[in-house]
Amino acid sequence: MSENVNDESPVEDGFTRVVAADELEPGKGMGVEIDGIEVALFNVDGEFHAMSNRCPHQRAPLCKVGEKKINGDKCWNENRGGFTDKPAVTCPWHLWEIDLESGEHEASGKRIGVFDIKVEDGDVFVAI
Amino acid sequence: MPPVKGPEAEVPPEAYDTRIIDLDFHVNPAEKELIKYVEDPVAREKFESVEFGMAPRKAKWDAAWSVAGGNEGLYTQGRAEVAEDVKMAAEKFAIDDPIVNIGINNAPTQHNPVQRNAIVQAANDFTLDRIVPEGLDALMMVPQWDVEYAVEEINRVGNEDGIIGAYGWFGPFHLFGEERFDPLFEALVEHDLPLVLHGSLNFWPQDTPVGDGMITWTEQLGFDWPVHAMLTTVNMIMTGVFDKYPDLNVVMEEGGHWWLPFARYRMNEFYEMHPDDIQMVPRMHDLGKDRLDRTPSEYLRENIYVTTQPMAPPERANDFSQMLDQSMAEDTFLYSSDWPHQTLDPATWAFTNSAFDENLRNAVLHENAAELFGI
Repeated sequence: MSENVNDESPVEDGFTRVVAADELEPGKGMGVEIDGIEVALFNVDGEFHAMSNRCPHQRAPLCKVGEKKINGDKCWNENRGGFTDKPAVTCPWHLWEIDLESGEHEASGKRIGVFDIKVEDGDVFVAI
Repeated sequence: MPPVKGPEAEVPPEAYDTRIIDLDFHVNPAEKELIKYVEDPVAREKFESVEFGMAPRKAKWDAAWSVAGGNEGLYTQGRAEVAEDVKMAAEKFAIDDPIVNIGINNAPTQHNPVQRNAIVQAANDFTLDRIVPEGLDALMMVPQWDVEYAVEEINRVGNEDGIIGAYGWFGPFHLFGEERFDPLFEALVEHDLPLVLHGSLNFWPQDTPVGDGMITWTEQLGFDWPVHAMLTTVNMIMTGVFDKYPDLNVVMEEGGHWWLPFARYRMNEFYEMHPDDIQMVPRMHDLGKDRLDRTPSEYLRENIYVTTQPMAPPERANDFSQMLDQSMAEDTFLYSSDWPHQTLDPATWAFTNSAFDENLRNAVLHENAAELFGI
Protein backbone atom coordinates (compact mmCIF):
# COMPACT_ATOMS: atom_id res chain seq x y z
CA MET A 1 0.00 0.00 0.00
CA SER A 2 1.32 3.50 -0.74
CA GLU A 3 0.06 6.97 -0.07
CA ASN A 4 0.96 10.35 -1.46
CA VAL A 5 1.27 12.95 1.24
CA ASN A 6 0.17 16.24 -0.26
CA ASP A 7 1.21 19.74 0.61
CA GLU A 8 -1.88 20.22 2.73
CA SER A 9 -0.89 17.59 5.30
CA PRO A 10 -0.43 19.14 8.72
CA VAL A 11 3.20 19.97 9.49
CA GLU A 12 4.22 20.77 13.05
CA ASP A 13 7.76 21.01 14.38
CA GLY A 14 9.02 19.55 11.13
CA PHE A 15 6.74 16.53 11.40
CA THR A 16 4.29 15.71 8.61
CA ARG A 17 1.22 13.61 9.17
CA VAL A 18 1.46 10.64 6.85
CA VAL A 19 -1.21 8.12 7.77
CA ALA A 20 -3.57 6.95 10.48
CA ALA A 21 -1.73 4.46 12.67
CA ASP A 22 -4.37 1.78 12.26
CA GLU A 23 -3.92 1.81 8.48
CA LEU A 24 -0.51 0.19 8.78
CA GLU A 25 -0.79 -3.38 10.02
CA PRO A 26 1.89 -4.97 12.19
CA GLY A 27 4.47 -6.79 10.08
CA LYS A 28 3.78 -4.65 7.03
CA GLY A 29 5.28 -1.71 5.22
CA MET A 30 3.80 1.30 3.48
CA GLY A 31 5.31 3.76 1.05
CA VAL A 32 4.66 7.51 1.08
CA GLU A 33 6.20 10.50 -0.64
CA ILE A 34 7.01 13.54 1.43
CA ASP A 35 8.30 16.55 -0.44
CA GLY A 36 9.17 14.25 -3.33
CA ILE A 37 11.15 11.88 -1.11
CA GLU A 38 10.09 8.22 -0.99
CA VAL A 39 9.73 7.08 2.59
CA ALA A 40 9.04 3.55 3.81
CA LEU A 41 6.96 3.21 6.98
CA PHE A 42 7.04 0.04 9.02
CA ASN A 43 4.95 -1.29 11.84
CA VAL A 44 7.07 -3.76 13.80
CA ASP A 45 4.87 -5.20 16.50
CA GLY A 46 3.35 -1.80 17.18
CA GLU A 47 6.63 0.14 16.96
CA PHE A 48 6.69 2.49 13.97
CA HIS A 49 9.80 3.19 11.93
CA ALA A 50 10.56 5.33 8.87
CA MET A 51 13.48 5.19 6.49
CA SER A 52 14.40 5.86 2.90
CA ASN A 53 12.31 3.59 0.70
CA ARG A 54 15.06 2.33 -1.60
CA CYS A 55 17.38 -0.45 -0.50
CA PRO A 56 21.05 0.61 -0.77
CA HIS A 57 21.80 -2.58 -2.67
CA GLN A 58 19.71 -2.35 -5.85
CA ARG A 59 16.95 0.16 -5.09
CA ALA A 60 14.28 -2.37 -4.14
CA PRO A 61 11.16 -0.77 -2.63
CA LEU A 62 11.50 -1.55 1.08
CA CYS A 63 7.89 -0.50 1.67
CA LYS A 64 6.79 -3.76 0.07
CA VAL A 65 8.13 -5.81 2.94
CA GLY A 66 5.51 -8.22 4.15
CA GLU A 67 3.74 -8.46 0.79
CA LYS A 68 2.23 -11.90 0.23
CA LYS A 69 4.14 -13.99 -2.28
CA ILE A 70 2.62 -15.75 -5.25
CA ASN A 71 1.68 -19.17 -3.84
CA GLY A 72 3.25 -18.03 -0.59
CA ASP A 73 1.68 -20.95 1.25
CA LYS A 74 4.04 -23.22 -0.70
CA CYS A 75 7.19 -21.26 0.19
CA TRP A 76 9.37 -21.28 3.28
CA ASN A 77 7.93 -17.89 4.27
CA GLU A 78 4.59 -16.62 3.02
CA ASN A 79 5.63 -13.00 2.66
CA ARG A 80 8.41 -11.12 0.87
CA GLY A 81 11.08 -9.97 3.28
CA GLY A 82 10.25 -9.29 6.90
CA PHE A 83 11.63 -7.99 10.17
CA THR A 84 14.26 -9.29 12.56
CA ASP A 85 14.62 -8.81 16.29
CA LYS A 86 17.53 -6.37 15.89
CA PRO A 87 15.22 -4.61 14.79
CA ALA A 88 15.97 -4.65 11.07
CA VAL A 89 13.91 -4.76 7.93
CA THR A 90 14.72 -7.58 5.53
CA CYS A 91 14.57 -6.41 1.92
CA PRO A 92 11.87 -8.06 -0.21
CA TRP A 93 14.30 -8.67 -3.08
CA HIS A 94 17.54 -10.09 -1.64
CA LEU A 95 16.93 -10.25 2.11
CA TRP A 96 19.51 -7.60 2.93
CA GLU A 97 18.99 -6.70 6.59
CA ILE A 98 18.83 -2.95 7.12
CA ASP A 99 19.05 -1.77 10.73
CA LEU A 100 15.93 0.27 11.48
CA GLU A 101 17.75 2.54 13.92
CA SER A 102 20.86 3.33 11.89
CA GLY A 103 19.82 2.53 8.31
CA GLU A 104 22.99 0.46 7.97
CA HIS A 105 23.50 -2.85 6.20
CA GLU A 106 26.18 -4.42 8.32
CA ALA A 107 27.85 -6.74 5.78
CA SER A 108 28.39 -4.03 3.15
CA GLY A 109 28.60 -0.95 5.36
CA LYS A 110 26.10 0.78 3.08
CA ARG A 111 23.62 3.06 4.77
CA ILE A 112 20.33 4.79 3.96
CA GLY A 113 18.49 7.57 5.75
CA VAL A 114 16.25 6.98 8.73
CA PHE A 115 13.67 9.49 9.83
CA ASP A 116 12.15 10.50 13.13
CA ILE A 117 8.64 9.19 13.51
CA LYS A 118 5.97 9.62 16.18
CA VAL A 119 2.39 8.59 16.76
CA GLU A 120 -0.01 11.12 18.28
CA ASP A 121 -3.76 10.83 18.64
CA GLY A 122 -3.83 7.84 16.32
CA ASP A 123 -1.87 9.50 13.52
CA VAL A 124 1.66 8.81 12.32
CA PHE A 125 4.00 11.78 11.80
CA VAL A 126 7.40 11.71 10.06
CA ALA A 127 10.12 14.38 10.05
CA ILE A 128 12.21 14.62 6.89
CA MET B 1 1.66 -3.04 -19.24
CA PRO B 2 0.82 0.18 -17.40
CA PRO B 3 3.84 1.35 -15.40
CA VAL B 4 3.79 1.21 -11.63
CA LYS B 5 4.99 4.53 -10.24
CA GLY B 6 5.90 5.87 -6.85
CA PRO B 7 7.18 4.10 -3.75
CA GLU B 8 5.72 0.72 -4.70
CA ALA B 9 7.43 0.56 -8.09
CA GLU B 10 9.80 -2.40 -8.27
CA VAL B 11 11.61 -0.96 -11.30
CA PRO B 12 11.86 2.52 -12.84
CA PRO B 13 8.75 3.52 -14.86
CA GLU B 14 10.92 3.71 -18.00
CA ALA B 15 11.32 -0.07 -17.83
CA TYR B 16 7.71 -0.38 -18.97
CA ASP B 17 8.55 1.52 -22.16
CA THR B 18 11.23 -0.97 -23.21
CA ARG B 19 10.68 -4.55 -24.27
CA ILE B 20 12.32 -6.85 -21.75
CA ILE B 21 12.97 -10.50 -22.60
CA ASP B 22 13.95 -12.55 -19.56
CA LEU B 23 16.06 -15.62 -20.32
CA ASP B 24 15.85 -17.22 -16.90
CA PHE B 25 12.39 -17.40 -15.42
CA HIS B 26 11.79 -20.51 -13.34
CA VAL B 27 8.50 -22.33 -13.08
CA ASN B 28 8.19 -24.98 -10.41
CA PRO B 29 5.07 -27.03 -11.03
CA ALA B 30 3.54 -28.78 -8.07
CA GLU B 31 5.20 -32.22 -7.96
CA LYS B 32 1.90 -34.10 -8.10
CA GLU B 33 0.92 -32.14 -11.22
CA LEU B 34 4.24 -32.80 -12.93
CA ILE B 35 4.21 -36.50 -12.12
CA LYS B 36 0.87 -36.87 -13.92
CA TYR B 37 2.75 -36.23 -17.14
CA VAL B 38 5.26 -39.08 -16.63
CA GLU B 39 4.39 -41.61 -19.34
CA ASP B 40 6.51 -44.53 -18.20
CA PRO B 41 4.37 -46.45 -15.66
CA VAL B 42 7.34 -47.82 -13.75
CA ALA B 43 8.92 -44.41 -13.35
CA ARG B 44 5.57 -42.80 -12.50
CA GLU B 45 4.91 -45.29 -9.72
CA LYS B 46 8.30 -44.48 -8.20
CA PHE B 47 7.66 -40.74 -8.42
CA GLU B 48 4.31 -41.26 -6.73
CA SER B 49 5.79 -43.26 -3.90
CA VAL B 50 9.28 -41.81 -3.46
CA GLU B 51 10.08 -38.14 -3.14
CA PHE B 52 11.88 -36.71 -6.16
CA GLY B 53 14.88 -34.78 -5.02
CA MET B 54 18.56 -34.98 -4.41
CA ALA B 55 19.89 -38.51 -4.60
CA PRO B 56 20.89 -39.69 -1.11
CA ARG B 57 24.42 -38.59 -0.40
CA LYS B 58 26.54 -36.83 2.15
CA ALA B 59 25.11 -33.39 2.84
CA LYS B 60 27.96 -30.94 2.63
CA TRP B 61 26.40 -27.68 1.63
CA ASP B 62 23.06 -25.98 1.70
CA ALA B 63 22.10 -22.53 0.49
CA ALA B 64 20.01 -22.19 3.64
CA TRP B 65 23.17 -21.86 5.70
CA SER B 66 23.93 -18.54 4.03
CA VAL B 67 20.58 -16.96 4.79
CA ALA B 68 19.51 -15.84 8.22
CA GLY B 69 16.39 -17.73 9.22
CA GLY B 70 16.86 -20.65 6.86
CA ASN B 71 15.74 -21.95 3.55
CA GLU B 72 14.25 -18.79 2.06
CA GLY B 73 16.52 -18.32 -0.95
CA LEU B 74 14.82 -20.67 -3.38
CA TYR B 75 11.41 -19.02 -3.29
CA THR B 76 12.25 -15.51 -2.08
CA GLN B 77 9.72 -13.99 -4.49
CA GLY B 78 7.16 -16.78 -4.52
CA ARG B 79 6.55 -19.88 -6.56
CA ALA B 80 5.14 -19.96 -10.10
CA GLU B 81 3.33 -23.21 -10.72
CA VAL B 82 1.27 -22.25 -13.76
CA ALA B 83 1.39 -19.71 -16.57
CA GLU B 84 -0.87 -17.23 -14.80
CA ASP B 85 1.61 -17.03 -11.91
CA VAL B 86 4.38 -16.25 -14.39
CA LYS B 87 2.45 -13.41 -15.96
CA MET B 88 1.60 -11.87 -12.60
CA ALA B 89 5.22 -11.95 -11.45
CA ALA B 90 6.66 -10.74 -14.73
CA GLU B 91 4.41 -7.69 -14.87
CA LYS B 92 5.67 -6.53 -11.51
CA PHE B 93 9.20 -6.26 -12.92
CA ALA B 94 8.20 -4.93 -16.36
CA ILE B 95 9.22 -8.22 -18.00
CA ASP B 96 7.36 -8.51 -21.30
CA ASP B 97 8.60 -11.92 -22.39
CA PRO B 98 9.59 -14.34 -19.65
CA ILE B 99 11.26 -17.33 -21.30
CA VAL B 100 10.03 -20.08 -19.04
CA ASN B 101 12.03 -23.10 -18.01
CA ILE B 102 10.83 -25.95 -15.84
CA GLY B 103 14.18 -25.67 -14.14
CA ILE B 104 14.57 -29.02 -12.49
CA ASN B 105 18.20 -28.33 -11.76
CA ASN B 106 18.55 -31.40 -9.57
CA ALA B 107 17.63 -33.68 -12.49
CA PRO B 108 21.31 -34.36 -13.30
CA THR B 109 21.90 -35.43 -9.68
CA GLN B 110 19.51 -38.33 -10.13
CA HIS B 111 21.43 -41.55 -10.50
CA ASN B 112 18.77 -43.66 -12.15
CA PRO B 113 18.62 -43.16 -15.94
CA VAL B 114 14.98 -44.20 -16.24
CA GLN B 115 13.94 -41.77 -13.54
CA ARG B 116 15.78 -38.76 -14.89
CA ASN B 117 14.72 -39.36 -18.49
CA ALA B 118 11.14 -39.71 -17.33
CA ILE B 119 11.16 -36.38 -15.51
CA VAL B 120 12.51 -34.66 -18.63
CA GLN B 121 9.71 -36.12 -20.72
CA ALA B 122 7.16 -35.04 -18.13
CA ALA B 123 8.56 -31.52 -17.87
CA ASN B 124 8.46 -31.08 -21.62
CA ASP B 125 4.89 -32.30 -21.88
CA PHE B 126 3.86 -30.11 -18.96
CA THR B 127 5.43 -27.18 -20.79
CA LEU B 128 3.57 -27.95 -23.99
CA ASP B 129 0.29 -28.54 -22.21
CA ARG B 130 0.27 -25.89 -19.48
CA ILE B 131 2.74 -23.12 -20.42
CA VAL B 132 2.91 -22.67 -24.18
CA PRO B 133 -0.87 -22.58 -24.81
CA GLU B 134 -1.05 -19.61 -22.46
CA GLY B 135 1.06 -17.54 -24.84
CA LEU B 136 4.44 -17.98 -23.16
CA ASP B 137 7.64 -19.08 -24.85
CA ALA B 138 9.64 -21.80 -23.15
CA LEU B 139 12.76 -23.92 -23.19
CA MET B 140 12.49 -27.69 -23.47
CA MET B 141 14.63 -29.75 -21.13
CA VAL B 142 17.32 -31.72 -22.91
CA PRO B 143 18.63 -34.91 -21.23
CA GLN B 144 22.29 -34.42 -22.12
CA TRP B 145 23.37 -37.51 -20.15
CA ASP B 146 21.72 -39.70 -22.78
CA VAL B 147 22.47 -38.24 -26.20
CA GLU B 148 20.33 -40.72 -28.09
CA TYR B 149 17.32 -39.89 -25.94
CA ALA B 150 18.16 -36.19 -26.10
CA VAL B 151 17.96 -36.30 -29.89
CA GLU B 152 14.73 -38.27 -29.69
CA GLU B 153 13.24 -35.67 -27.35
CA ILE B 154 14.36 -32.78 -29.55
CA ASN B 155 12.76 -34.46 -32.55
CA ARG B 156 9.59 -35.02 -30.51
CA VAL B 157 9.03 -31.51 -29.17
CA GLY B 158 11.65 -29.23 -30.74
CA ASN B 159 9.44 -28.04 -33.57
CA GLU B 160 6.44 -27.26 -31.40
CA ASP B 161 5.30 -23.64 -31.34
CA GLY B 162 6.57 -21.89 -28.26
CA ILE B 163 9.60 -24.13 -27.79
CA ILE B 164 12.42 -21.76 -28.64
CA GLY B 165 15.50 -23.35 -27.08
CA ALA B 166 16.87 -26.39 -25.27
CA TYR B 167 17.73 -26.25 -21.58
CA GLY B 168 20.63 -28.28 -20.21
CA TRP B 169 23.40 -27.81 -17.67
CA PHE B 170 27.07 -26.96 -17.40
CA GLY B 171 28.80 -28.57 -14.48
CA PRO B 172 30.94 -31.52 -13.49
CA PHE B 173 29.69 -33.62 -16.39
CA HIS B 174 31.12 -34.84 -19.67
CA LEU B 175 32.27 -31.71 -21.46
CA PHE B 176 30.36 -30.83 -24.60
CA GLY B 177 33.55 -30.88 -26.63
CA GLU B 178 33.40 -34.68 -26.68
CA GLU B 179 32.32 -36.05 -30.04
CA ARG B 180 29.54 -38.05 -28.37
CA PHE B 181 27.53 -34.81 -28.37
CA ASP B 182 27.68 -34.24 -32.12
CA PRO B 183 24.27 -35.84 -32.79
CA LEU B 184 22.82 -33.49 -30.17
CA PHE B 185 24.35 -30.47 -31.88
CA GLU B 186 23.09 -31.65 -35.26
CA ALA B 187 19.56 -31.96 -33.88
CA LEU B 188 19.72 -28.52 -32.26
CA VAL B 189 20.93 -26.87 -35.47
CA GLU B 190 18.35 -28.73 -37.53
CA HIS B 191 15.57 -27.47 -35.26
CA ASP B 192 17.13 -24.01 -34.92
CA LEU B 193 17.27 -24.32 -31.15
CA PRO B 194 19.98 -22.53 -29.16
CA LEU B 195 21.45 -24.65 -26.36
CA VAL B 196 20.87 -22.90 -23.04
CA LEU B 197 23.09 -24.28 -20.28
CA HIS B 198 22.23 -23.45 -16.67
CA GLY B 199 24.09 -24.29 -13.48
CA SER B 200 23.03 -27.55 -11.90
CA LEU B 201 22.79 -28.66 -8.30
CA ASN B 202 25.62 -31.12 -8.75
CA PHE B 203 28.28 -28.50 -8.02
CA TRP B 204 31.88 -29.54 -7.74
CA PRO B 205 32.18 -33.31 -7.14
CA GLN B 206 32.09 -34.35 -3.52
CA ASP B 207 34.85 -36.37 -1.94
CA THR B 208 37.43 -34.36 -3.85
CA PRO B 209 39.70 -31.84 -2.13
CA VAL B 210 38.24 -28.93 -4.10
CA GLY B 211 34.62 -30.01 -3.78
CA ASP B 212 34.85 -30.61 -0.08
CA GLY B 213 36.97 -27.54 0.53
CA MET B 214 34.36 -25.07 -0.61
CA ILE B 215 32.23 -24.20 2.40
CA THR B 216 30.28 -21.08 1.52
CA TRP B 217 27.53 -20.01 -0.85
CA THR B 218 29.85 -17.40 -2.29
CA GLU B 219 32.29 -20.10 -3.38
CA GLN B 220 29.73 -22.64 -4.50
CA LEU B 221 27.23 -20.59 -6.43
CA GLY B 222 29.35 -17.51 -6.97
CA PHE B 223 32.40 -19.22 -8.41
CA ASP B 224 31.82 -22.95 -8.94
CA TRP B 225 29.22 -22.20 -11.60
CA PRO B 226 31.26 -19.56 -13.48
CA VAL B 227 34.32 -21.83 -13.48
CA HIS B 228 32.26 -24.60 -15.07
CA ALA B 229 30.60 -22.15 -17.47
CA MET B 230 33.93 -20.74 -18.58
CA LEU B 231 35.54 -24.16 -18.91
CA THR B 232 32.56 -25.48 -20.88
CA THR B 233 32.77 -22.49 -23.20
CA VAL B 234 36.50 -22.75 -23.81
CA ASN B 235 36.23 -26.51 -24.27
CA MET B 236 33.55 -26.18 -26.95
CA ILE B 237 35.55 -23.56 -28.82
CA MET B 238 38.89 -25.34 -28.67
CA THR B 239 37.48 -28.73 -29.67
CA GLY B 240 36.04 -27.31 -32.86
CA VAL B 241 32.35 -27.61 -32.00
CA PHE B 242 31.67 -24.32 -33.75
CA ASP B 243 33.90 -25.18 -36.69
CA LYS B 244 31.75 -28.22 -37.33
CA TYR B 245 28.49 -26.49 -36.31
CA PRO B 246 28.93 -22.79 -37.08
CA ASP B 247 25.19 -22.20 -36.72
CA LEU B 248 25.08 -23.60 -33.19
CA ASN B 249 24.52 -20.99 -30.50
CA VAL B 250 25.08 -21.59 -26.81
CA VAL B 251 23.87 -19.56 -23.84
CA MET B 252 25.65 -19.83 -20.50
CA GLU B 253 22.94 -19.12 -17.96
CA GLU B 254 23.71 -17.97 -14.43
CA GLY B 255 27.36 -18.79 -14.97
CA GLY B 256 28.54 -15.21 -14.65
CA HIS B 257 29.54 -12.86 -17.44
CA TRP B 258 32.51 -10.78 -16.31
CA TRP B 259 34.85 -13.65 -17.20
CA LEU B 260 34.37 -12.89 -20.87
CA PRO B 261 37.28 -10.41 -21.14
CA PHE B 262 39.55 -12.87 -19.35
CA ALA B 263 38.61 -15.74 -21.66
CA ARG B 264 38.62 -13.49 -24.72
CA TYR B 265 42.25 -12.47 -24.45
CA ARG B 266 43.65 -15.51 -22.67
CA MET B 267 42.24 -17.95 -25.23
CA ASN B 268 43.81 -15.95 -28.05
CA GLU B 269 47.14 -15.68 -26.24
CA PHE B 270 47.42 -19.39 -25.53
CA TYR B 271 46.04 -20.58 -28.86
CA GLU B 272 48.22 -18.33 -30.96
CA MET B 273 51.31 -19.48 -29.08
CA HIS B 274 50.35 -23.17 -28.94
CA PRO B 275 48.11 -24.02 -31.91
CA ASP B 276 49.60 -27.35 -32.87
CA ASP B 277 47.44 -29.59 -30.70
CA ILE B 278 44.26 -28.54 -32.49
CA GLN B 279 44.94 -31.18 -35.13
CA MET B 280 44.96 -33.79 -32.37
CA VAL B 281 41.41 -32.97 -31.25
CA PRO B 282 39.34 -35.92 -32.54
CA ARG B 283 36.66 -33.75 -34.11
CA MET B 284 39.23 -31.55 -35.85
CA HIS B 285 41.24 -34.60 -36.84
CA ASP B 286 38.17 -36.07 -38.48
CA LEU B 287 37.54 -32.80 -40.27
CA GLY B 288 41.15 -32.73 -41.46
CA LYS B 289 41.69 -29.34 -39.87
CA ASP B 290 44.90 -28.31 -38.14
CA ARG B 291 43.73 -24.87 -37.04
CA LEU B 292 40.49 -23.31 -35.82
CA ASP B 293 38.64 -21.48 -38.56
CA ARG B 294 38.63 -18.30 -36.53
CA THR B 295 40.45 -16.61 -33.69
CA PRO B 296 39.06 -18.10 -30.43
CA SER B 297 37.60 -14.81 -29.25
CA GLU B 298 35.55 -14.53 -32.43
CA TYR B 299 33.57 -17.62 -31.39
CA LEU B 300 32.82 -15.90 -28.10
CA ARG B 301 31.26 -13.01 -29.95
CA GLU B 302 29.48 -15.08 -32.58
CA ASN B 303 28.36 -18.31 -30.91
CA ILE B 304 28.34 -17.70 -27.16
CA TYR B 305 25.89 -15.70 -25.08
CA VAL B 306 25.79 -15.12 -21.35
CA THR B 307 22.95 -14.07 -19.08
CA THR B 308 23.30 -11.09 -16.82
CA GLN B 309 21.99 -12.20 -13.45
CA PRO B 310 23.37 -10.99 -11.14
CA MET B 311 24.87 -8.06 -12.98
CA ALA B 312 27.14 -7.23 -10.01
CA PRO B 313 28.30 -3.93 -11.50
CA PRO B 314 31.27 -1.94 -10.24
CA GLU B 315 30.50 1.25 -8.32
CA ARG B 316 31.75 3.68 -10.95
CA ALA B 317 29.79 4.04 -14.19
CA ASN B 318 33.00 4.49 -16.20
CA ASP B 319 34.34 1.18 -14.89
CA PHE B 320 30.99 -0.45 -15.62
CA SER B 321 31.04 0.91 -19.16
CA GLN B 322 34.54 -0.41 -19.82
CA MET B 323 33.67 -3.85 -18.48
CA LEU B 324 30.58 -4.00 -20.66
CA ASP B 325 32.66 -3.01 -23.67
CA GLN B 326 35.40 -5.54 -22.93
CA SER B 327 32.73 -8.21 -22.47
CA MET B 328 31.25 -7.42 -25.89
CA ALA B 329 27.95 -6.97 -24.05
CA GLU B 330 26.21 -5.44 -27.03
CA ASP B 331 26.63 -8.80 -28.81
CA THR B 332 26.80 -11.33 -25.98
CA PHE B 333 24.64 -10.27 -23.00
CA LEU B 334 21.07 -11.47 -22.52
CA TYR B 335 19.00 -10.12 -19.66
CA SER B 336 17.87 -12.64 -17.03
CA SER B 337 15.97 -12.16 -13.77
CA ASP B 338 16.26 -15.62 -12.17
CA TRP B 339 12.80 -15.12 -10.67
CA PRO B 340 11.88 -16.28 -7.98
CA HIS B 341 15.24 -16.89 -6.36
CA GLN B 342 17.11 -14.71 -3.90
CA THR B 343 19.52 -13.82 -6.70
CA LEU B 344 16.67 -12.02 -8.50
CA ASP B 345 18.01 -9.23 -10.69
CA PRO B 346 15.46 -6.68 -11.91
CA ALA B 347 16.72 -4.60 -14.84
CA THR B 348 17.01 -1.42 -12.80
CA TRP B 349 20.69 -0.96 -13.72
CA ALA B 350 19.82 -0.60 -17.40
CA PHE B 351 17.76 2.49 -16.61
CA THR B 352 19.62 4.12 -13.75
CA ASN B 353 23.28 3.70 -14.73
CA SER B 354 24.86 5.94 -17.35
CA ALA B 355 26.91 3.00 -18.60
CA PHE B 356 23.79 2.10 -20.61
CA ASP B 357 22.80 4.18 -23.61
CA GLU B 358 19.70 3.32 -25.59
CA ASN B 359 21.53 1.06 -28.03
CA LEU B 360 23.18 -1.04 -25.34
CA ARG B 361 20.02 -1.13 -23.24
CA ASN B 362 17.96 -2.42 -26.17
CA ALA B 363 20.61 -4.97 -27.15
CA VAL B 364 20.87 -6.48 -23.68
CA LEU B 365 17.22 -6.27 -22.69
CA HIS B 366 15.69 -7.64 -25.88
CA GLU B 367 17.43 -7.29 -29.24
CA ASN B 368 20.04 -10.00 -28.73
CA ALA B 369 17.48 -12.46 -27.40
CA ALA B 370 14.90 -11.61 -30.04
CA GLU B 371 17.38 -12.30 -32.80
CA LEU B 372 18.83 -15.41 -31.19
CA PHE B 373 15.49 -17.06 -30.46
CA GLY B 374 13.51 -15.61 -33.35
CA ILE B 375 10.88 -14.05 -31.13
